[in-house]
Order: sequence, then C-alpha cells, then structure tokens
Amino acid sequence: MAMPDVTERPRPAPGTPPLVQLRGIAKYFPGVVANQDVDLEVRPGEIHALLGENGAGKSTLMNILTGIYQPDAGEIIIDGYLKSFASPVEAIAAGIGMVHQHFKLVRAFTVAENIHLGWSETPRRISAQELEARTAQLSASLNLAVRPDARVDELSTGEQQRVEILRVLARNARVLILDEPTAVLTPSEARELFKALKEFVARGNAVIFISHKLDEVLEISDRITVLRGGRKVATEPTSACNEKMLAKLMVGHEIVLDDLRARGPNAIAKSNEPVVSLREVTARDSTGHTVLNKVSLEIAGGEILGIAGVAGNGQKELSELLTGMRAASSGQIMLGGRDVSAASAGDFVDFGVGHIPEDRLRSGLAPALSVTDNAVIREYDRAPVSLGPWYRPRAAAALARRIAEAAAVMVPNYSMPIRNLSGGNQQRFVARREMRIATKLLVAAYPSRGLDVGAINTMMRYFVELRDAGVGIVVISEELEELLNLSDRIAVMFHGEIMGIVDSAGADIEQIGLMMGGQRAATPVRAAAMVH
Amino acid sequence: MAIRLQRLPSASPAVALAARAIAILLALVTAGLLLAASGAQPLKLAQQVLKSTFGSGFGLEDVGLLVTPLILTGLSVAVALRIGAWNIGAEGQFYAGAFAATGVALFIPGPSIVMLPLMFIAGALGGLIWILVPTLARAYADVSELITTLLLNFVATLLVYYVATGPWLDPGGHALATTARLKHDMPEFIGIVHWGFPMAILLAVITAATFSFTRWGYEVRIAGSNPQAAKYAGMPFRRHLIVVMLLSGAIAGIAGMLEVAGTVHRLQGGISNNFGYLGIMVAVLARGSCIGVIAGAALMAVILNSGIILQTQGVNTSTVLAITGLILFFTAVGDELAHFRIVSSKPAEA
Repeated sequence: MAMPDVTERPRPAPGTPPLVQLRGIAKYFPGVVANQDVDLEVRPGEIHALLGENGAGKSTLMNILTGIYQPDAGEIIIDGYLKSFASPVEAIAAGIGMVHQHFKLVRAFTVAENIHLGWSETPRRISAQELEARTAQLSASLNLAVRPDARVDELSTGEQQRVEILRVLARNARVLILDEPTAVLTPSEARELFKALKEFVARGNAVIFISHKLDEVLEISDRITVLRGGRKVATEPTSACNEKMLAKLMVGHEIVLDDLRARGPNAIAKSNEPVVSLREVTARDSTGHTVLNKVSLEIAGGEILGIAGVAGNGQKELSELLTGMRAASSGQIMLGGRDVSAASAGDFVDFGVGHIPEDRLRSGLAPALSVTDNAVIREYDRAPVSLGPWYRPRAAAALARRIAEAAAVMVPNYSMPIRNLSGGNQQRFVARREMRIATKLLVAAYPSRGLDVGAINTMMRYFVELRDAGVGIVVISEELEELLNLSDRIAVMFHGEIMGIVDSAGADIEQIGLMMGGQRAATPVRAAAMVH
Repeated sequence: MAIRLQRLPSASPAVALAARAIAILLALVTAGLLLAASGAQPLKLAQQVLKSTFGSGFGLEDVGLLVTPLILTGLSVAVALRIGAWNIGAEGQFYAGAFAATGVALFIPGPSIVMLPLMFIAGALGGLIWILVPTLARAYADVSELITTLLLNFVATLLVYYVATGPWLDPGGHALATTARLKHDMPEFIGIVHWGFPMAILLAVITAATFSFTRWGYEVRIAGSNPQAAKYAGMPFRRHLIVVMLLSGAIAGIAGMLEVAGTVHRLQGGISNNFGYLGIMVAVLARGSCIGVIAGAALMAVILNSGIILQTQGVNTSTVLAITGLILFFTAVGDELAHFRIVSSKPAEA
C-alpha cells in the first residue's frame, strides 16, 4: 500500500540541501558513550526511520537535534546552515519539532487551548470561540482532523496524538520527529497516522520516525538509519531492506524470531487435563460495565495460548481474572481441578500462578524500593525468606541475586531502587521472578512491549523453556506475528468476548484480523483444550 | 573541557550525610550573618549556646527532656509515612493522649505502680481514637488524611484548653489555667530526665526492627510504596493502612502521656509546645527512617534548647523560629544537591 505514494512523491531538485544534516555527533555520559561519530541526513520529502535497540542512542541523538542536550562534538546543519540549539524553543524556531512518546498536553484544557499554549503567535487577548476557529482553520489547512472544543482528557490516545502533531506543525515545523508513535495506537489509528505523515512529507517536509517495529518501519519509511551502541551502523533505502537484515544490523548478530512452536527432545508433552478452565466467566468494572462477557477457555499444561486483539478489548481484565486480582461476577474458574472463583491474588501465587503484568512499573514492581525488596515479592512469605513471622533480609538478598543471575541482569547494588534498572532489565527480572513460582500457569500481558528485538527474543525463549517444563502459558500481545510464532492456539478477543480460538499452525491471518474486528469464527468455539 | 552537572537517580549515603552536615553549617552561618546584621554578636551567642547546652549536665538534661516527645512525634509521622500516609495530626493526638492520661490520673485512685501503666495505655488509646476517624475515612472513602488529621488538631487543642480552664481546673486554685498537679510521676532516669527518654528510644528501635525483620513490615513497605504492587502480590493494603495509621496515632498519644506524667505534671493549654508539628520536621530530617528519627529529634531538641538560651540573651522568638526554618530549608536543598555530581567531558579526539 505504501508503494504508489513513494513513486508519486515529488523528488527534490538536484542541489537542494538536506533539511537536516548531523555530522560526527558525539555525546558522552559518565562511563557511557551515548553517541559517537553519528552522521545523519534527512532530505525534504522523506520519511526517515531511526532504528535501534533500547539504549542504542536514538533518544540521545534526537534530544541533541531538538536542543534538549548539547553535543560534545559534531555539527548540526539545518537547510545548509550550521546551527546550535541551546533549547527546544530554538529548535522549533528552526523548524524542528518532536512528538514524544508520552504526550505533553494539559488534560483539563481544550484542544484549541493546548494548540495555542506557549505559542508566540497566540494573540494576547482572544475569546474561546476565536481560539477554536483558529484551531479549526489550522486543522483544515494541515489536514489533521481534531475537535477544537473537546477537552483533551475525553479524547482517545490516537486523537491526543493528532493534537500533539498539530501543535508541532502549527509552529511551522518542517521536520517532525516521532518517538514510537504507534505504540499507543490501534491498527486503524496507525493507518490514519501514516496517511497524515505521507501527506506532510509530500509538501516537501520530512519525518524522522523512531521505532522498534520492523514491519511498520518497512511499510512507512523511505530510508532507514540503524544505530547500535551509540554509533551509526547503516543508512539504507527501505526498498533494499528486509526484516532479517534489519534485525541483524540492530543487534549485531542474526536473530531468529522464527517458529518457536517446535518442542525440544526433552520437553514434557502437552497435558490432557487443563491446568486452568474458565466457564462462562463474566466480570464487571467498578461502574457496572461488563468488561468480560461469558468467557470460556481451557489451557493445558505445556501449551502456550495466545490472546490476540486490539488493546482494550478485555485482555487486561482477563489477565487479572486468571491471576486472582479481579473477581468474576458470575461463572467459574477452575485451577488444577479446584474451584478458585473466590480466591485472592495471594492464593493464586500459592497455587503456582505467575503473572507478568501489563505495566510492570505500576503494578509488578515498587519502583522506589530496592532490587531485593522487589525480588522477593512472590516468595517473602515462605522459607527461606521468612521463618514464621520473621523476615530475613540476608535470605532475601540471596534470592534477589539468584533471580538477577537467571535473568542475566547486572545489579551493581541490591539496595538501590529498582527503577534505576533499564526497562529491558526490569522486564527480564520480573519474568524470571514469576517463572520461579509459575509451576502451573504463567500469564504474561504484553511481555514484549517497549523491548527491543534482542530482549523480546530472550522473553520468548523463557516462555518456551517454561512450556517445555509442562507449564501452561497465556501470552497477551498485540503483535500477531509474535503470537503466531510462539503459541499453539490463539484466542481472539473483541469487546470482552472471545470471538474464536484458532490453531496457530495454518492459521489464516485474514480471518484473525476479521475476528479482531468483531466477526465470530466460522467454526464454533472449541469447548475443550485441543488434545493430541 | 566542559563541566556539567549530572543528576543521579539515588544519592550515596556518604554524600547525603556530608550534604546534611554542610547544609546545617551553612544555615547556622547564614543565621549568624543575619544576627550580626541586626546588631547581635553571633560568635558570642554561639559560645553561650554551646556552653549552656554541652558545658554542663543541666544543659544536656534540658535537651533530654525536649528530645523525648520529639522522638515519639517524629516516629509517629515516620510510621505513617511507611504506608504512604501523612499524619499532620501528631499535635492533636499528642493532646488527646495527654488528656486521656490526665483523666485517668485525676479520676481513678490507685498506687503509681498501677496507675502509670494505666495512664500509658490511656495515652496510647487517646491518640489512637483521635486518628480513628481520619483513618477510616481514608481507608473506606479515600478522604485525604492530610486535611482530616490537621483539622482535628484544633479540636484537640481547644478541648484541652477547655478542660484545663473549666471542669478540670485545679480546685486548689494555685494556678489559673491548669489541672491540679498529678499524683503519679514518671520516675527519673538521669538527673531530671525521666524514664520516658529510654522508653522513646526503645520504641523507635522496636518499630524499626519490626519494619525490617518481620513479614508484616515487608508487606507494609511494599504497600506503602506502591498500593498497586500490594494488590498484585495479594497483600491487604486497606488492613495495613488502618493498622499503621492507628499505630501512628497511638505513638503520638504516648508522647502526650509522657509529657504530662514526666515533665509538666499538669494538663494545661499549649502543653504540646508544637511537638506534633515539629515531629513532621523530625521525620523529614530522618527521611522517614525510624532509627533516623532519634538523630533528627536530637538535632531538633538542640535547636529548641538553643532557642530558649537565645531568648534569655534577648533574641526574640521569631528569630529562633526563622533559624529552625533555615536549617530545614538548607537541608532540603542539600538533600537534592546530593543527587548531583560534577562531570567534565573531553571532546572526542578528531
């Protein structure tokens, strides 16, 4: 779908200077080379993707380009002129604007107010109607549909992102930098974003697109620059790239994100008895709204069940239900033949259920507490960490060391707050902690979110290891390809219901896509786990 | 060469301690300069303060009397912070504890050996009852304990003024606005310092050990740091919140009881001397550590005692209060600065 646009796009006349040129950029932090010898050239009319693992130096480079950091060496050339930006205000004045991953909007203000906030062209005295009229005009001229009178907190994430983009473009930005823009969007919102970006560059502007997702980079960009370890490793036209090669460039060695469904020779076969079964389980949120509607599922030991669907269709609630964090309002949950419908999260831990939560910093960890405190959150109530009512700090530290070793996380100091670890390290740490207690079931919600290819691969290997040990695993993800490669069966959720369950082998992606949009599976939902 | 500041996510303990010391020193220097500007002789005053405080056993005993309630009110605030609650009402719970202990002493006959433990329990219960409503409101209706505990301070202050000048007024008529002298005194420990002092230290140590070495303490640590994580781990956040807040109130109540039974021996308006509010400062100085509260309270007691000495030297009360504020302000700045380190970066070799 991207191809016709690319050929139609006007090519700049020969001799037109690049919009942005970075030459020999270097940036050092104590003990860390964040950027070294980075050259980057962004031409008018192109979408330039910036790829790299977590910590490859993408954010530092963009912070230098937008004036948040000053480079320790190198030059920034905009439109052929050497520039130096002391602050983001100077960068935006030079036409360089950035939309961050976490939006910087005032939630209680209207769209029009947010667009005009902190803008030198906003008239000193102006009525709300005029503000909204100006915003509507901007929105029409830049072809980005927004509702000027809506309050930001009533907008969807996709709409908020459009407001952010409009805010940047209204300030005459010619280079738009987007940091992981699709991480928060549904597929249809992402498609709309891509359309808007293509229109923007067609007017002779440029986009720098930061992402982990190889497929969407291949879809949207014209050229791709890959960073690794703070250095530029390649800039290639997208037409000459494929996923395997990009993954290799990013991590420096070939990554096999391929079929993980095959069992090893020593693997325990899939069990005949389900470890968990849900029977017509319904759950409501605090306002009485139904979030899960008559969900029936069975998960066998030694099987990976993928849960597909657009985020917000009941996946989070399902993961909470499977781990005892949410009570069902009707229906029955059986765990290893025992009715646990009324059990608490603590009971589920004792039953052998591990949980990698959707938002590890918000619920899986206490970010301000030490690595040790966070390590023992699952096993603090049993020997050796505690004896009767007594908690033993030394035994806790020993357990923390064991988990860190298994997760291959370097911890300089076990009493430092766990938020000092990088996101990838936190996730591996949580995963290893949960694997220790998951003797029956592991529930992983969006385990690869925010991770780079290498870290995702490690997570997938963890799941395979656990599956081969006979544990049942539920993986919730929005990455269909990941689910197809990993899971034995895939259940598709829509509006709190299961639309159908399909076998990954020979699954029809089109059909899954339709089910994600609300269509039921043609064949009736299998009531029992697949038994070989 | 470029010199820059870099912020670290957490400060190392040694740097933090050094920053504290420098901050307190700078605060004192600033206060001295201000005093000099207003015509006083700061060096002479400082000498006087040091001599009166540390030069004799009496000075240290005065500090010991002040430090006892400060340890307990500081501990009360620090304990509540463990579950993420701000107990601004240690002042009110202090009054409630003093009130309850006095009531027991005035109206129940008995020998001191029985009455003192009874007063102790009454003091703890008084403080506990005073924080009960804010606790339940927070636990079940998510009402901010900051507001409710603060407002109840005024109720407790006025209640004590009322009984001390009204129904419980000394029938002997020697004093205008206090109850009669209580018949039961806390025995003395060293000099005029009563047994409340070692009890306060013991309580701080026991509390700290409970938080560090029990399963319950671990659960409270997690729940106070991130209630979501407590829910995730299946820990009863609400139950811990209630127990910890009630404990916080009881400790402040004990402070009130000890002040009545050990130091003042009568219930009177203003008996708290702002110990409840100063407890917030002590807890902040101690960074919420239960053992650190002892050091924080000691520092605060020296400052208070110095203030009394300065007043005898003709420095007015607002100046003393301003010095206290300066120290706290400089400490806060020092704590933040301890997170930074200076780095010099060389440009890359071309």
